[in-house]
Amino acid sequence: MKRSSVDVLIVGGGPAGLAAAIELRKVGARNVRVVEREASAGGVPRHSFHLGYGLRDRHQLLSGPAYARSYVGQCIELGVHVSTSTTAVEWCGDTALALTSAQGLEEVQARAVVLATGARERGRNARGVPGTRPAGIYTTGALQQAVYLYQQQIGARAVIVGAEHVSFSAVMTLGHAGVKTVAMVTREPAHQSYFALRWGTAIRYGYQLVTNAVVVEIAGSSRVEAVLVRMAAGDERRIECDTLVFTGDWVPDHELARRAGLALTHETKSPAVGTDGMTSRAGVYAIGNLVLPIKPADQCALEGRALARVIRMQI
Amino acid sequence: MARQRAAGTAEFDVAIVGAGVVGTAIARELAQYDISILLLDGRDDVGDGTSKANTAILHTGYDMVTGSLEARLVRRGYELLKRHAAQVGVATEDTGALLVAWTSEEAELLPGILLRAAANGYTEAYLIDASEVYRREPKLGPGALAALVIPGEWIIDPWSTTLSYAVQAKLAGVEIQLGAKVDCIVAGSSMYRLHTSCGIFEASFLVNAAGVYADEVDAKLGLRDFVIYPRRGELIVFDKLARELLSCIILPVPTAMGKGVLVAPTIFGNVMLGPTAENRTDKSDTASSESGIELLRGKCAKILPDLLNEEITSIYAGLRAATDSSDYQIRAHRGQRCVTVGGIRSTGLTASMAIAEHVRDLLVQVGLVLGCASDLPAVHLPNLGEARQRPYQLDDLIGADALYGEIVCHCERVTRGEIRDALAGPIPPRSTGALARRTRAGLGRCQGFYCQAELTAIMQSGGVDRQ
Repeated sequence: MKRSSVDVLIVGGGPAGLAAAIELRKVGARNVRVVEREASAGGVPRHSFHLGYGLRDRHQLLSGPAYARSYVGQCIELGVHVSTSTTAVEWCGDTALALTSAQGLEEVQARAVVLATGARERGRNARGVPGTRPAGIYTTGALQQAVYLYQQQIGARAVIVGAEHVSFSAVMTLGHAGVKTVAMVTREPAHQSYFALRWGTAIRYGYQLVTNAVVVEIAGSSRVEAVLVRMAAGDERRIECDTLVFTGDWVPDHELARRAGLALTHETKSPAVGTDGMTSRAGVYAIGNLVLPIKPADQCALEGRALARVIRMQI
Repeated sequence: MARQRAAGTAEFDVAIVGAGVVGTAIARELAQYDISILLLDGRDDVGDGTSKANTAILHTGYDMVTGSLEARLVRRGYELLKRHAAQVGVATEDTGALLVAWTSEEAELLPGILLRAAANGYTEAYLIDASEVYRREPKLGPGALAALVIPGEWIIDPWSTTLSYAVQAKLAGVEIQLGAKVDCIVAGSSMYRLHTSCGIFEASFLVNAAGVYADEVDAKLGLRDFVIYPRRGELIVFDKLARELLSCIILPVPTAMGKGVLVAPTIFGNVMLGPTAENRTDKSDTASSESGIELLRGKCAKILPDLLNEEITSIYAGLRAATDSSDYQIRAHRGQRCVTVGGIRSTGLTASMAIAEHVRDLLVQVGLVLGCASDLPAVHLPNLGEARQRPYQLDDLIGADALYGEIVCHCERVTRGEIRDALAGPIPPRSTGALARRTRAGLGRCQGFYCQAELTAIMQSGGVDRQ
């Protein structure tokens, strides 16, 4: 097995991890390595093709992929070692991790480890939604990859579950794929995004926002045929659709944090961090959506930058 | 080895309807002999009905009705399957089980269950008191009074079990027709003619192993020995991070409706809760229900309350083939040259190889001539269990073939090499579900957030090359 050592090992090549790596190089850290399990770095923005990225960190309005490319490009320029298709599989020391990649197994000893593993949306099972298990069920993340990275056929009529920022991203992705969004269902009394997003997408895509409502059953044998929605008053409504997208309801990807036995926050089971970004284990830091899902990409990147300066002082 | 059917004909010595764990086990058993065999299933994969939603426990048979056919076949099947699993590489784990009494009424039943275990030939079980229960399983909810320890209850990979039978049968010469729904069966004087959605097949002998549809296939032959009630069992699978909450299978004291709701580690490193037991009418309805999930959560709150704080990875339902009898319904019909295998409940996974031997003997009774037996081809399935190492952990393997170091499904750590192997296997997957049962790809906690699109692309293109 290969063994190596670095000053800082960053797990997760999304906006938070890449921004931390870039800033670390800028403030003089020598040996900074990012491991990213996907085939390309950039995180969720890689497959989020609409505009809205980069306002607070790049001071321009970029699409997700352009934003992701700008960070990856800067990493290359500054000599950050980004290992893609590489998974940190387990801890092999307080600040050491075992990696798996096509190059084989590797143990990396670091002076500091930054966990920037992000967050994912809860799917239908994690939300406890009963019913059949037909094709046509997505999360926004899966939908965006299917549409933008793989150009797959999606369907004709979609229902979106959730009304957060990302839910409107799903509306736009479905529109791009030629799928009509018929309804957006949220258990909350109102949507939780910007007024402009709600009404902009409503005018363009003409869907209904169903509030105080819960999806209580998925119907359809090989393909989604409908969802049963229960309203606050207890009455139920069947909405015909062939596509169902579960959006938002984020959960941190905290496996490494938990396997390390780090102290967790009660609410989201994210690693608990001090004001310096350090977890309960010395030398292990956590940033971005792993710490508190869900924040915009630029905010995660700014967190990464700030953490880099802290780490620089400590190593 | 099984003989090939005669060129240019669709005639077989034996046709087996149903490629679940029982039908594939029968095909494998018969494949040792010099006869031609057809294995048919209406679904697109082997083990795609009741068999895929099993609780995945290798049962000792300690609690069976003494003297029943089920008791005998489970006991024999347990030994056979344990040996087979070790030979072909199907993952098992010797977790053992605790049958926990939560009320004084239940505690009073434990000595009787211990006696029954002995009567069924299982003598390794023993009783423990509450303090020992909590020493072994400290995370159990409060109120456990005593337990019966059954060290022989193991967990097993149920999908690879069925697949291993089917692969061995296929390599031994059995013809497998998937997606072949049987429309009607015409019984001639020496032949059964099966009209299916994949054409017409003829066979001298017939085995009905159609699971929840066994009574309907029997009806096509004019037989009405039993009626099958699809009994729905809903299950919840929790995140792998919950696995450390328990070390063995936690069983309830059984009732008339079945073994009750258990909590068990799974061979894939998760924790399973279920099943419910509810008689239904629709044999195709495998939907989970709000009431079922609520019931399971309620049971869980008592048995292992901390489990409810963990994420849910999967919720699904399976249909067991229940009949009016509590025993298996396995019958030969002389004159008809056929054997029906009905009413095989969740113990059928454990009993499968013994059921196959029994069916073989019944076929001989109705006139099948087996000929010489020869050894089945050796097969080795990839390990899907967490107890042993998997490709992503093997430096030498990755060194020899870099695709074993490229993880596609991050949650289950399934590599591109394993997916490639599954696609090139003797019974290739035709759907993402079938791919998942061969590799675990897509079955993890993200429920497709990261890999759904890529797995769909792989199934659409039939190859693992990155697009």
